[in-house]
Amino acid sequence: MAQPLTTASVPTDIYGGDEVSALVLDAGYCSTRAGFAGEDVPKSVLPSFYGSIKDTNAASGSRNVFGEDYLFARPDFEIKNYMSRTESVVEDWDTAVQVWESMLLDRLQPERRQTQPSKNGLNDGADGEGDVSMEDAAISAENAENAEKPLAESPLLMTEAPWNQGKAREKAIEIAMENWGCPAFWLSRTPVCTAFAAGKASALVVDVGGANTSVTAVHDGMILKRSIQKSHVGGIWLSNQIRSMFDSNDPKIEVRPSYMIESKVPVDAGAPSQAVLRKLNYELHPSYRAYEDERLLTEYKESVVEVWRGPGRYSNPGNEDLVKTQPGRIFEMPDGSNQMWREQRFRVSEGMWDETAQLPTASEEERITKAQTVPELIRACLNAVDVDLRPNLLGNIVVTGGTSLLNGFNDRLNNELMAMYPGMRVKLHAAGLTTERRFGAWIGGSILASLGTFHQMWISKKEYDENGAGIVEKRCK
Amino acid sequence: MTSHDVREMLNLPNEGGGSRPAKKQKTSIARQNLKGLAREVQNLGGDNPIAIVPEISSFKKRRFGSRKPAARWEMRPFRNSAREDESLILRHWRRKTDVQPPTAPQPDQQPNGQPDEDKMDADNGESKPEEMEDSSFAKFNVKVDVPQYSEDQYNSTLANKDWTKDETDYLMEAVRDYDLRWPIIWDRYDYQSKDGDASTDSNTAVVQARKPRTLEDLKARYYEVAAKMMAVQRPVQYMNQAEYNLHEIMTSFKPEDETRRKKFAEAQMGRSKEEAREEESLLLEVRRILARTEKFNQERRELYNRLDYPTTETTQDLSTFKTSNGLHTLLQNLMTADKSKKRKSLMGTADGQSTPASAGPSAQPGSTPLAEQRRESIAASASGHGHGRHDSTASTTDARPEKPTKKGAQPPERRKLTEQEELTYGVSTHDRLPSGPTFRYDRINKILTTKSNAQHARITNTLNELDVPARLTMPTKAVVDQMEHLLINIQTLLDLKKLSDKFDAEIKLEKAKKAEKDKAAGIVPQPAAAESTKGNSNGETAKVNGAAKKDGKKAGGDVATSSTEKPAAGEGANGDKDAPKEGASKHRLKSLLATVRGWTMKRPLPKKPKIKMLRMGSSKRLAPGKKRMRDLAAVADRSALQAY
Repeated sequence: MAQPLTTASVPTDIYGGDEVSALVLDAGYCSTRAGFAGEDVPKSVLPSFYGSIKDTNAASGSRNVFGEDYLFARPDFEIKNYMSRTESVVEDWDTAVQVWESMLLDRLQPERRQTQPSKNGLNDGADGEGDVSMEDAAISAENAENAEKPLAESPLLMTEAPWNQGKAREKAIEIAMENWGCPAFWLSRTPVCTAFAAGKASALVVDVGGANTSVTAVHDGMILKRSIQKSHVGGIWLSNQIRSMFDSNDPKIEVRPSYMIESKVPVDAGAPSQAVLRKLNYELHPSYRAYEDERLLTEYKESVVEVWRGPGRYSNPGNEDLVKTQPGRIFEMPDGSNQMWREQRFRVSEGMWDETAQLPTASEEERITKAQTVPELIRACLNAVDVDLRPNLLGNIVVTGGTSLLNGFNDRLNNELMAMYPGMRVKLHAAGLTTERRFGAWIGGSILASLGTFHQMWISKKEYDENGAGIVEKRCK
Repeated sequence: MTSHDVREMLNLPNEGGGSRPAKKQKTSIARQNLKGLAREVQNLGGDNPIAIVPEISSFKKRRFGSRKPAARWEMRPFRNSAREDESLILRHWRRKTDVQPPTAPQPDQQPNGQPDEDKMDADNGESKPEEMEDSSFAKFNVKVDVPQYSEDQYNSTLANKDWTKDETDYLMEAVRDYDLRWPIIWDRYDYQSKDGDASTDSNTAVVQARKPRTLEDLKARYYEVAAKMMAVQRPVQYMNQAEYNLHEIMTSFKPEDETRRKKFAEAQMGRSKEEAREEESLLLEVRRILARTEKFNQERRELYNRLDYPTTETTQDLSTFKTSNGLHTLLQNLMTADKSKKRKSLMGTADGQSTPASAGPSAQPGSTPLAEQRRESIAASASGHGHGRHDSTASTTDARPEKPTKKGAQPPERRKLTEQEELTYGVSTHDRLPSGPTFRYDRINKILTTKSNAQHARITNTLNELDVPARLTMPTKAVVDQMEHLLINIQTLLDLKKLSDKFDAEIKLEKAKKAEKDKAAGIVPQPAAAESTKGNSNGETAKVNGAAKKDGKKAGGDVATSSTEKPAAGEGANGDKDAPKEGASKHRLKSLLATVRGWTMKRPLPKKPKIKMLRMGSSKRLAPGKKRMRDLAAVADRSALQAY
């Protein structure tokens, strides 16, 4: 039954879109993205790290706060992550539900939460800490049980890591259906979404994220399970490399996040810092320090670290000398100390490509093997797919993930692949916009969930009721 | 386009401009009105004021006046018939129509928030199912057709020692699930035999050692099943073409070949950098070589086209072109052919060639199509490769079949023309032609003028005798030919006459001598002596004969050389043998004269030619003539012997 529609009435028709006000949720180790399908950026991006406040007077023992705004230094405060560092899958389901609810319900649909004026926090007087979100979350948990289901009107599309296990998938649909009452649900794998975001149904997705790097072949909108390759080479690994470099630097460089600094004075390059440190009259949990360090290192990565573009390895003779002649970059720490970085900024990232070039790491499991370097991951991935697909995959490599934004990453990857597969057509597709690279999987999910042809795919509530949570294994292949 | 026109189009009131005033005036008025525009920008327009700024006040008024109420949109529920569970009702924004029944179910759907119940209502309700629209994307849901088989069918046709029915079922299921996307099917293929426990107990080794299925194994099995089921449903001989092709492809699938191919492809991917570079350079080289041969071939073809000169007429006799004169003639011919072509192309489809007048002198008709073709191909190749190439190929390939439509029935069948047709169309073939145009009667005059005055006079006399005017009134080709023929014959006739006169005189002389001798000897004349003299005379004629032969050749006519012996033969005793021949030649001359007369004067032919002595033969009679001469010589010898 074709509907006689004019373009004026349905402008989305030109791309086969048909919005059904779906929501898209994409959870990663470093951040969790949520937003409305059909938009090009997630409305709400929260770190997957959350704060847990030990509540002495409450019986529960602790309460959680979500969002960067609430993660500040305070006593009895611990930073946790509900995702697994090694797997990038949900570890702590209770908190995951809280995080997701705070995003999907509170942040995306604020008008739903018209709380009583007496309870909305505005009339409470100075709370001193302003963790309104936390209270909202608590209220939402109460409401969810006795009131109507909070997401009864919006289908929900969630993404998952390609290696996600059946249990976790079933848990996800359970939450969506039971807790939130979604009319329809779908679980999609991140590489597929990323490929869609790049406008490709078949692609080799290289996802260099915060905690992990994964390489997955996608064929016709489905991942090839045997091709999945995963390594912990990612943003956090790179941070550790930087830490290692800071430690081995001649005057050892102290990582002092800005919360520790009371005041600072400008100093010459290379001179020791003369900042006045802030004195906290309570003991701060080390996890908070670690979280803040990570933020600082992220800034360092963004502004200083660069990847040797090739051709060849950085350790090849002559390359370092060349780099030394090039202008370096100056980075000023929050404590005022600053330094020019030249060859070091190439050295820290070289381990991604050349395991022999990695800097010594604190723990042995941080070390990467040859098989865990990015080119080897791609090689292993390609070797695990049918020969006929390989040329096509090499011609459709989609690069995504925040860490792939390192300067020179794509050039190096291209050079490595050209060297590895001479004579083949290698083509990288990496979004130019930072947001598109960071939220690639979410954007793909947003596209998918707003397509008219996708309506037939949703797992409806009724199907869930009839078949149970196992349906997700059967449908979302 | 002026502001006036724009206003008219936009249906704006015409207050500001009015009907177009004079230019100067207008600019000043416009400038006053255009408040939103910088003076410099206005000046850019020069004399024509910039017409983009309308009068703001009226525009705004207008806009408010024409404003329609805002379109109403609503969240409209719809279902998707492509779904397995069609009860799912999603909602999207749609423009509100006048009739709005779907609003009714919405309120009760929202508060209770249970789409399931709502759907139940919808199913039971009377009016709702019609109102619920179906997704326009439902039609895009397509499923692959996977062969179905029953237990019996499996056992009878599909049994395979490598595959259990369970696993085959599993494969078919996977094929259906993954829509025949083989890489995915292979990727996800993970069959665990259901009766694994039982069988592992009995024969553990076999089941455990089952190696993973390759993609080729899966494909081979599926194609086998699909092909067999196809054949079961419809025997191969009843399949239509498409079905048969499909069946053929499926049955001819060879997993070994595929495996080998993939191994090769894998090796290809694992090449080293040097190998890749070498291969690339080799490929480049091959491409270069191919390009060169292509170019070479093209040049050669062009050359052939250039050489494509009138072959049929000239190949037998290349000697004609071996002299510089011959070459010159050839060049002339080609040029005239070219010229005639050009003229023709200007005149369109004029058939300048079809009349003998132009065909004769202008060109060798047989060569024209080829010459033209050659010219075209040269022109095409000279005009470059862009679209000229197409033309040239078209002309070279199509030139022959196209020609007849252009010029009627003339060219390609030209060589097959019957004599009748040749006559009708005035087609004639020549071995060689003099350069440049000539008058036909020049040919006649040439014959006459080359002769001495006495001869000329004699020929004219003979012509007068024959009632043929020396000057032709209508020198058509046939007439001229015949006239020429006639003149040559007359020439021969006169020569023979002269000769016979001479012989008569000699005979008379000899007779007189003999009479004198007889008188002196006083004996009766012997017949043998007479014979001997005749023999002598015969020998003489033979000599003359040879000379005449040469003359005949030179004249180019086919005047029989044998005719030269005839006077002698006529003198001889066996002269009577020539009687029928003489009759024949007479008849020939008669017809000849008839044609000449018929064309020239249209006068009734006299019953009998006035020439008595006319013996001539054609070249055909040359051989018998020679024989006769030999006979005569033999007779003469014999008589001479007898004489002694």
